[in-house]
Amino acid sequence: MFVIERMSTDLITALPDMKIGQAYDLMKERRIRHLPVSDGEGKLVGMVSDRDMRSAMPSKLLDSDSYEATLKKVMNFTLAEIMTREPVKIFVYYTIQDVLLIMRKYKVGAVPVVDDDGYLKGILSTRDLLSAFVDVMGIDEPGALLCILSDDRQGQMKKIVDIVTEERISLGSVLVSKSLEQDRKAVFPYLLTNNVARVKTRLIEAGFELTDPMQWYFDQLPKKQ
Amino acid sequence: MAELPAGVVQAFFARTCCNYWNVLRSGRSSYGNLVSVRRVALKSQEEMQLNYFTGEQETEQMKKTGFIYDDTYLQHNTGDWHPESSERLRVIVNGLKESGLLEKLVRIEAEPANQRWVEAVHHVNYIMRFNDACAMGLPDFDHQENSICRESFKAALLAAGGVIKAIDSIMVGDVETAFCAVRPPGHHAEVDKAMGFCYFNNVAIGARYAQRQWGMKRVGIIDFDVHHGNGTQHIFETDPTVFYYSIHEHPSFAYPGTGRDFECGVAAGEGTTKNSVILPGRGDHDYRRKLTEDLIPAFKKFQPDMILVSAGFDAHAADMMSGVNLSTDGYDFVSELIMNLANALTDGKVVSILEGGYNLELLPLLVENHIKHLAGLRGV
Ligand SMILES: [Zn+2]
Repeated sequence: MFVIERMSTDLITALPDMKIGQAYDLMKERRIRHLPVSDGEGKLVGMVSDRDMRSAMPSKLLDSDSYEATLKKVMNFTLAEIMTREPVKIFVYYTIQDVLLIMRKYKVGAVPVVDDDGYLKGILSTRDLLSAFVDVMGIDEPGALLCILSDDRQGQMKKIVDIVTEERISLGSVLVSKSLEQDRKAVFPYLLTNNVARVKTRLIEAGFELTDPMQWYFDQLPKKQ
Repeated sequence: MAELPAGVVQAFFARTCCNYWNVLRSGRSSYGNLVSVRRVALKSQEEMQLNYFTGEQETEQMKKTGFIYDDTYLQHNTGDWHPESSERLRVIVNGLKESGLLEKLVRIEAEPANQRWVEAVHHVNYIMRFNDACAMGLPDFDHQENSICRESFKAALLAAGGVIKAIDSIMVGDVETAFCAVRPPGHHAEVDKAMGFCYFNNVAIGARYAQRQWGMKRVGIIDFDVHHGNGTQHIFETDPTVFYYSIHEHPSFAYPGTGRDFECGVAAGEGTTKNSVILPGRGDHDYRRKLTEDLIPAFKKFQPDMILVSAGFDAHAADMMSGVNLSTDGYDFVSELIMNLANALTDGKVVSILEGGYNLELLPLLVENHIKHLAGLRGV
């Protein structure tokens, strides 16, 4: 999955000489927390986040006269003064997996997406990532989750998929995870069906164990020594 | 069981003719005239000081409970392998017959719902689309799992119509409670989309009918099918006059994946939708807790004028459709709690409508137990 399919291209950007006051209103009005700053030609030159904004604001501890006066002054500075230059950015050919690792590493809530020449093409926020995962898991579509324990040897997944296919059920997604038991895997197929009775029966007949997911959950809890 | 002499029936019939005309002429009935005849005896026994029932002396305290069923429901043919099969209703009716409960119920004949009431819930285009799909003999509708046949439209209209007749019977005082053994089921059906074996949202149509025809201001819907009734929730989520309460398996595990406990209604309807989610395997314990903590206070506050129930029996441990593992006793608890609520809030007025339930060995017993609660033969 590439970021280009997931980024938001409906961009709101600012020029470096935009006044902080203007940018503040813009961000509030458009309800965004990250404002990419580009030069006149559309090349990315910086990022301003709502955090940058807040740290530029005068302290609320000031008495109201000095607060108002300082605020007025602050609002008249330009974005160039507070923006992060050389922000964390990603390229259009990055994958969603890249972005997950990047955002975790640099602790940012949104990353601008640029092409090879540095032109701003989009922005990707944690919210876009969340939607991507809702889609990956298929949970926007009606369906049911099975919890299957299987031996960790070749061909098990094929058997599961074959049974699901023979029952003419579409797969929304499949998650596979390690099991606590050795040489066992836990497989979680999300089936786009209301009719799980037959497929469950057939899996049991084929030798799979359908686990109680709550048991699974309790088994993961740290045990008292 | 003593048979009732025909002469008594005729004499009685002459006196109370109109209400029981439909029952008596029941040529279409799948379980024959005798049952209807006994039903008349039940109605008349106080008056005539006769008790034609031997064995269980329950009838004295029994609430008059309506039973809606029609052979036409069997004509909705979903094919050989479909879990939502006509066999479900066959085993229910046979079970009730064998246990002797059926003859103690007031038989109510369904009539096809006037399209006007279907339109109170569904888009006209959707109704036409469904009608056309059936008329053209298409194999399914909106999703491959929604099997249909030429008779499906007729059956669906009659299912909704059965609920309407049940409400009528309660409102005119013929019965106090009613169970609608209807199919196709309804609670997954959206305004303009068939889902999860459902085409017309029977309970939603009933709620609108109760409001518009009988002036019920607030209708409370309790949905204990193991699946979330996405259709019913979406139909009423902005409406503060209909409270939709559903208890179901956690949507991360069970179809259709909606009904999370933070879905509480939208806009003006905020606060009149409530979902209790049950994690797999936590049946009895969590049903007790959630119903007590979530449903009771919500309905006491809402003060419904009538309670409609989406009764699904697929939460049972022996039903492979779900994983919450509710026991037979657990189902008794659910039914009893609903009746206690109804007795406290709606003078006992309850219409319960069949939704899911796919274990054919168990379904008759669960339905029988549920109806016994409706009839006041079980619980307090
Ligand atoms: Zn169900």
